[in-house]
Amino acid sequence: MMTRNFSTIPFIIVITLISMPLMVMYGFLILDTFTDAPAGELWPDRFTLKHWRFLYDFSEVGNVWVATFNSLTLAVSMAVIVLSVSSTAAYAISRLHLPFRRFFLAGILVMHAFPAVTLLIGTFFVLNFSGLYNTMIGVILVKASLLLPFGIWIMKGFYDTVPWEIEMAGVQDGASRFTVWRRLILPQVKPGLVALGVFAFLDGWGEYLLPSILAPGSDMQVLSIFLNDLIAAERVGYDFNLFKSVGVFYTLPVVVLFVIFQNRLMNIFGGGTKG
Amino acid sequence: MQLELENFTKCFDGTPVIENLNLTVGDGEMLALLGPSGCGKSTTLFAIAGIYRADGGRILFGDRDMSDLPSQRRNVGVVFQNYALYPHMTVAENIAFPLTVGKKRPPAAEVDRKVREIAELIHIEELLARRPAQLSGGQQQRVALARAIVRRPDVLLFDEPLANLDAKLRLEMRSEIRRIQLETGITAILVTHDQVEAMSMCDRVAIMDKGKILQTASPTQMYRAPVNKFVAGFLGNPPIVFMDGVVAADGMFQMGQGFTLPLPAHVRGLPLGQVITLGLRPEHFGGAGAGMASGRVSFVEPQGRETLFDVDVAPGVTLRSIQPMREDVRLGDTVNWAVDVENMLAFDANGDRL
Amino acid sequence: MSLSADLSGTKGAVHAHRPTGTAMAQDRGRPRVSRLGLILVAPALFLLSCFFLAPVVLTGVFAFTNMSTSTGIGAGEYVISPNLLDDLADAGLSEEVVTAISAETYEITPDGIEAARAGGVSADFLRDIEGLLLGDGFDTARGIETALRGLPSAPRSPRSLKLTAEFFGHSVLNQRFDSAQELTEALSLAVPDVDAGIRSEIVGASYTGAIYTTENFTYLATQPSTMRLVANTVIYVGATLSIFNVGLGLFLAITLFYMPKRVSSFYSTLWLLPRITPLVLYTIMWKWFTWEDGFLPLLAEQLGLPAFNYMKGSVITAWMTMISVNGFVGASFGLILFSGAIRAIPTQQLWASEVDGATRWQQIRRIILPQMRWPILFVVSYQTLSLLSSYESIWLTTNGGPGKTTTVWALEAFKTALSSYTGNLEYGLGAAMALVLVVVGLALSIIYLMAFKFGELVGRPRIEF
Repeated sequence: MMTRNFSTIPFIIVITLISMPLMVMYGFLILDTFTDAPAGELWPDRFTLKHWRFLYDFSEVGNVWVATFNSLTLAVSMAVIVLSVSSTAAYAISRLHLPFRRFFLAGILVMHAFPAVTLLIGTFFVLNFSGLYNTMIGVILVKASLLLPFGIWIMKGFYDTVPWEIEMAGVQDGASRFTVWRRLILPQVKPGLVALGVFAFLDGWGEYLLPSILAPGSDMQVLSIFLNDLIAAERVGYDFNLFKSVGVFYTLPVVVLFVIFQNRLMNIFGGGTKG
Repeated sequence: MQLELENFTKCFDGTPVIENLNLTVGDGEMLALLGPSGCGKSTTLFAIAGIYRADGGRILFGDRDMSDLPSQRRNVGVVFQNYALYPHMTVAENIAFPLTVGKKRPPAAEVDRKVREIAELIHIEELLARRPAQLSGGQQQRVALARAIVRRPDVLLFDEPLANLDAKLRLEMRSEIRRIQLETGITAILVTHDQVEAMSMCDRVAIMDKGKILQTASPTQMYRAPVNKFVAGFLGNPPIVFMDGVVAADGMFQMGQGFTLPLPAHVRGLPLGQVITLGLRPEHFGGAGAGMASGRVSFVEPQGRETLFDVDVAPGVTLRSIQPMREDVRLGDTVNWAVDVENMLAFDANGDRL
Repeated sequence: MSLSADLSGTKGAVHAHRPTGTAMAQDRGRPRVSRLGLILVAPALFLLSCFFLAPVVLTGVFAFTNMSTSTGIGAGEYVISPNLLDDLADAGLSEEVVTAISAETYEITPDGIEAARAGGVSADFLRDIEGLLLGDGFDTARGIETALRGLPSAPRSPRSLKLTAEFFGHSVLNQRFDSAQELTEALSLAVPDVDAGIRSEIVGASYTGAIYTTENFTYLATQPSTMRLVANTVIYVGATLSIFNVGLGLFLAITLFYMPKRVSSFYSTLWLLPRITPLVLYTIMWKWFTWEDGFLPLLAEQLGLPAFNYMKGSVITAWMTMISVNGFVGASFGLILFSGAIRAIPTQQLWASEVDGATRWQQIRRIILPQMRWPILFVVSYQTLSLLSSYESIWLTTNGGPGKTTTVWALEAFKTALSSYTGNLEYGLGAAMALVLVVVGLALSIIYLMAFKFGELVGRPRIEF
């Protein structure tokens, strides 16, 4: 694209140096899951699969598959709620006459920018009063709600790009606004739905804080807590290779989704909620 | 079905853009709403379609008042400028869509039959399985038209339907749209800013400016007898030339620059010194006529069949002439051509035709 | 979401509006409120009110209470405990009143008889009590027991008598009352002579639930540790933002822009990894990287440098770790945004500058950087908000240590209210700290909205029916 009248080599070296911690961390993350190193050494000296024992041997760390299923439940429910609620609300805001529409949209934007984690204490009260404290449903509802302003905002952006004429043609053809939305507009914003759905899934999948604070006694232990408990638990000692194996297992779906939906996700990541 | 607008008024943000507009379109007639952009023609169209709400007046289909009914209950077909085809559906699904959204969904076989019938009428049978993205502009236009008429609407509305087509296709679709309108006999309104489209496709033309209809007439009538300067100037290509001056002695017209012409007979009786504007169409200069004008040719534009000349007859006064192709007159030549005085249009100081 | 992509709001009606007369307002032309629209936003409104609005309001309300684990959440009770009486006595409550409140008095009432019957006292005995003693009052246990013993059907054992007597006893001490009124009534029975003012004082003091107070804020304002927290927060946000989110983000975006495609896509993906890695795993990797026996200490050891737990071992290394942990995630935000903005610069501008003989450095400084103003402003305002409130990764790494040296405001608020080692969670104080963040966040996000021209984002719906 650009002319090559400058040497890029020094810059590649600088970038590589800066990126060193990441390369080391991720390199050893993969390496350590199937090797062992002598105590006090960095470089592994033998190949082993024993770190992956946790997949079938539950005696040491507990049943990882139950936690996986719970994480899946959390992430999928969250994606479903975020998708359905934001795709309906965003359409209404983008295209229908509502009282206080401007105000509502401004509110959504403020909430979108607003750091939602500061509300955790207030959320704790809400769950306590509504009896949802310590339940996975409470965690799912809170987590989904916190992502809603973002979801509504993103979806509104997608709806805004659908030509008004499609909508007008639909009502001319005799379809109700609901039918227009369902059969004509929704198919046009599919890329947005996919991106938001994957984003919500990943957000739910990686969540640690809410389940640990809002449902500490819940029977439904998700993978993030499963993994962190391994570290906290004294009984396994400090076996980083085991942690990393569980961690890689935990991250695998994320990487797969990311590879598949990379381009669609990139647009949405820029406005993501992660710091 | 006859369509009637009665004192139709439309405001945006409390500011009226159209006030007390009256318009009647006869059953089976095709009428053009012609005007510059921003004149309110599309607003009127959208109000008839049921997309905009009227602030005042009534919209009648036959004798039914439609003013407060939403689009879904008006049975109006609309062809949009950008066609507004549903990109995720095939052509057949696009055309079938209006049939499948009503309360009573007809059996699939009947939908299929109707779609084929319309496709045949519009000559798009071979496109039915394709998607809009695989169609050319003209084909998309045809599909949009098919979708608009598949429900047999009472009124068919065209919003600048040819604006997105290239010149050749435009010519073809002009006659196609007219043919289909005539064959189906649906009352139709064409919104356009292109006078050629309006005049060539429609039975009557309503010319609009600043939210008002200035004149409604057949194309030839309107060309020959425009009500005012605006209409005269809007119709005709190359456009009419206006000359501002006063009524002088001996039935003459005199411009400030000293240029004079005989007045047309019907305005000779005006008092001396009255301010008047004459309009001279290019085809009435350079043929036969009672007046003469001489000057230097300042511009020559050969258009093939015809040649267009600009002639400076006085400082700041340029007349325009269109004549069958000729090569004997060149830029800079001095010519002395006849002016067909009786075909000149005369307007008073307000711009109304005398 | 890049801002530019979202600015594509529909622009009102496309038709130029030409006023032709006086304004006239008629309801007829106004678009109707869409019922479908109301139905479609209802779920969102419900969830947002429950889990956004309500928490904000509750944070605001509870910030002005002393609610904690000991007061419990929700309405409290009214209990006069012996401890409270001692306190009241110390505060000047007269000896007589204290004795009167703690003393038990006895009265034979129909209620008491019912209670005794339910408690298994023999029916004969009760009939006697009802017939002979109803309405009598006794000041001491001995008094009522003597009276009971005198009845014909009285049981022999003193224990039974004592038990029976207890059914008629009244004491406000250690008794739980649901409302202030109930306690007041009980008090006026027990100590009828006490002045009403003193009585209500006692009632007020006996409340075990949370009470409204501005103490949290005075506490925060007077604690020296507050300043320390504020300073930590400012340093943390400022350093992370400037070094990583903006500085490194911009550096990576510009450098990768000039790199061959393969190199740039490798590094873009590498820098995106922290963003998509689940936080728990990401923090575990940092632990492995900096912990004793971890990568860096082992490396340092081999190089003969001081090796210890860098994450928690010293203040300086803890700060560096904390900023890096967040910064490596944050840099990718800047990278994505800035890369998009650089690619949006028309290539002709860059070619033109090269034709003009500009060096690459001049090209960056004169052409690219000036066009990065808005993206930088966006990253700064947006990330300030999220960094201000992000404590999750700090919590999972340094956890504010060593000591409280790397504790930021949000982390402290969170720990105070929801995750205290001492077991006493101070909800009220935590809420007060969170409220400060809520106010700051609200103010910042409104400013940020105004800066990015909210008005242009709202188009008017074009179908009016």
